This record gives sequence, C-alpha cells and structure tokens, in this order.
Amino acid sequence: MTQTENLVKRLPTEMGGLDAGPVQRTEHEYAPWEKRCHALANMLDIHKIVSTEEKRRGVEALGSEMVEKLTYYERWIVAFANILFQKQILTPEELARKMNDVSARHGEPQDASTKSAVG
Amino acid sequence: MSSHAHAHTPAPDTGDAVPGYYEVMETAVRELLVEKKVIGAGEIRQMLEVMDTRTPALGSKIVARAWVDPEFRARLLANGRATLEELGIDFFEDTQLIVLENTDSVHNLVVCTLCSCYPREILGLPPDWYKMKPYRARAVKEPRAVLAEFGTVIPDDVEIRVSDSTAMIRFLVLPQRPKGTEGFTEEQLAGLVTRDAMIGVVRASNPEKKEKSR
Amino acid sequence: MSQELGRSVKPLANVVKAEGAEPLFQAGDTVKISMRFPVGHYRVPTYIRGKRARVEAVVEPAAINNEDESFGRNAGVKRHYYRIAIPLGELWKGYAGSKNDGLRIEVFETWLERS
Repeated sequence: MTQTENLVKRLPTEMGGLDAGPVQRTEHEYAPWEKRCHALANMLDIHKIVSTEEKRRGVEALGSEMVEKLTYYERWIVAFANILFQKQILTPEELARKMNDVSARHGEPQDASTKSAVG
Repeated sequence: MSSHAHAHTPAPDTGDAVPGYYEVMETAVRELLVEKKVIGAGEIRQMLEVMDTRTPALGSKIVARAWVDPEFRARLLANGRATLEELGIDFFEDTQLIVLENTDSVHNLVVCTLCSCYPREILGLPPDWYKMKPYRARAVKEPRAVLAEFGTVIPDDVEIRVSDSTAMIRFLVLPQRPKGTEGFTEEQLAGLVTRDAMIGVVRASNPEKKEKSR
Repeated sequence: MSQELGRSVKPLANVVKAEGAEPLFQAGDTVKISMRFPVGHYRVPTYIRGKRARVEAVVEPAAINNEDESFGRNAGVKRHYYRIAIPLGELWKGYAGSKNDGLRIEVFETWLERS
C-alpha cells in the first residue's frame, strides 16, 4: 500500500480534526494589495469569469508545500494566475512581461536583462 | 495608507515600499485584465469601497435590532439573506445566510474547515486566526477547549453546535442579549456585540465590563 | 383539470418534474455520508465520510453541485443540499465534551445514502 495516497486523498487545505496547537489570536491590518486581491476575486466571480469555487480548487491545486508556505492572498493570486492561464485569458509570457514592467516602475526590475537596460 | 494603482496611470505609489513579488503579480494581473476589458477600469476601486462598508459594526447593528424587535428577529431567523437585503445589504456571492440563535440551551460556533467561508458581506474580512490551522482543525473536534482559549466557558448542560461552512450557506451567530441591558438603546446594545461574538467564540459583552475587542 | 380557487392550487397532472427537483431526503431522515475519495477536489470533509447523520433541514432551492462548479461547470442537474447533524461523540474517539454537542454541515445530495 503506497504511503503517498493520503497526499491525494486529503486536500492540503483541509484542516478539520488535525492535531494543532492553541489558537493564536493574531490579527494583521490587511495590506492594500491584499484588499485589492480580494476585490479582484469578487469581480471575477461577479463577472462569472472565475467562480469562488474555481478559486478554491485552484488554491488546493497549488499543493501542500505552497499551501503551507504562502500566505493567504499569495495563494489566491498564484491560483488566479494559473486559472486564467487554463482559461486562456492570460498567458504565462504576458503576465511575466507585465510583472517586469510593474517592477521596473519602482526602479528594481526583477529580470536581469531589463536591469541592464534601466542602468 | 491605501494606494490603488490604476492601470492607466502606472505611477509608482508615493512613499510606499517597493512592492513584493506577490503584489507585483496582483498588479500585473489586474492591469492585464483591465487592458483586455475582462474587468472595467474602475471596478476594483468600486468594489473596495463596497468592501470598506462591510465591518463588524454592521453585524452589531443587526444583532441589536434583533434584540429589541421580535418581529425583525423572527424574519431574520426565517430567512437571513432576504431580511438583510431589505436593509440594503446586498450580497456579492450566490450564498444564503442563516442566522444561528444562541439560547440558554444551545451555543453556536462557526468554522470553515476546508477554506475560510465567512459572512463577509456583513462582517467584512475575517481575522487571521479564523483562517489558520489551529482554529480550523480544533473547532470541530474540541470546541469547548477552543472556546476556553477565548475565555468562554460553556456549561455541560448547554449543547454546542459547530457549523462547518462547506457549501453556499454562510452563518452569523445571534448571541444572547446580556443581562442588565433593559432600556438600552439600539446603539448601546450594538456596542456590546463584537465580531467574535458573531462568530460564536465569545458571548456578547456585559454592560459593566465592556471589552475593547473588535 | 379543475383548480379550486381560493385554496392551494393543485399541481397539474401529467407534468413530470425535472431530475433532482424533488429532494430525496426529508428532515428527520437518517442518512449515511458516502465513503469515496475524489481526486483533485471535494467539498465534503474527510472527517465525516462514512458517518451516519440526521437530516435537520432540506436547503431550498435545488442548486448546482459545488464540486462540479470548481471545474468551471455552471449548469447541470440541480439537486438539494441538506443540513445534517452528527454528534461530535460519533466523529471523534474519546470526545470529552457534552454528549449533546454536535456538528452541522451542508452536504450535497450525491454524497448521501439512505441509512
């Protein structure tokens, strides 16, 4: 009997009944981009482009390591990117290029080749 | 400080730190979707404005009204969403709302073990702890221990009902009205109702020791 | 075909209801949550699989299977969700709270069997 089947049978996002420590009553002020991410999710759902249910599945599909290590809205935005690619609304290339453009506005491009262009 | 980058004016956010990888991703996705006319240019900003109006204060008002108006309370318990829509509280998602009434014999508690379902249209965004493993793992398994961590002790002869939101119903707990509040105005009563009381992890505050929790 | 005015309208004869339109279960029924393990996505937590439950309420109206919605399907046969109740003592070995403590959860019809 394979050991790994539990990774498949139980979603990485499902928590009910697991052993866990005390509730840490931390709260954080939502960063503007996190609120924007939530607003984006609402608009995609309202416009019937990506439903809330699709987004949930997209987060689950990130797999256990990303689900554990990315924060809440980090998981959402990566999931949205993947889903939008699957729906052929965006391509990985155009998103990557746009991300470089956005980074470049702050003088710190993420891509080595554009770094030399900015100087 | 909030800064909303607009697709048509890609100016750097003044005074803000350099955006991290995920913020860059969010900005890029949003701008591309606007360029492709998948979403409208002002829609995110409009939605943010709507979201800003949904805070626990809204829920507190609803609870306070239910405490003073038995007819409203009855309608709220019969059909939560329809009653709230009459008050102008529209819902973004195709969800229902069930209001769970706490009584002398039943204490309700809400959790989402699969993700983070929460009545955002009424309470706004949930606290971190609601979305994290300890609460989501243990609320369905040992609710009394979890409640005790919040300072809430429920006697053994009171039934605890844990609602795990997994489908299209959202839940708002209607806490019991504290004793010693006869003659209080709705506003005063609303001041006793915290977000945590509407999730079900604490009771409404007593009038003598009003807590500063959110 | 006669209808009695001023009283409840009788359903027309010879009209067949759509599949799924009639709930299979009613409040008070005992049901069992199916024991199966979907790959990729589900909305029925593993901790209730195979357990017996009491139907507390039929959720109206009939709706799309949310598990199908997650793959982009937004049409199809609508069935009912049911708000079901399971004592916590039946879910967790050695449950230390009151025997009256219970779970309430909404489950789609395709996950429930008569028990």
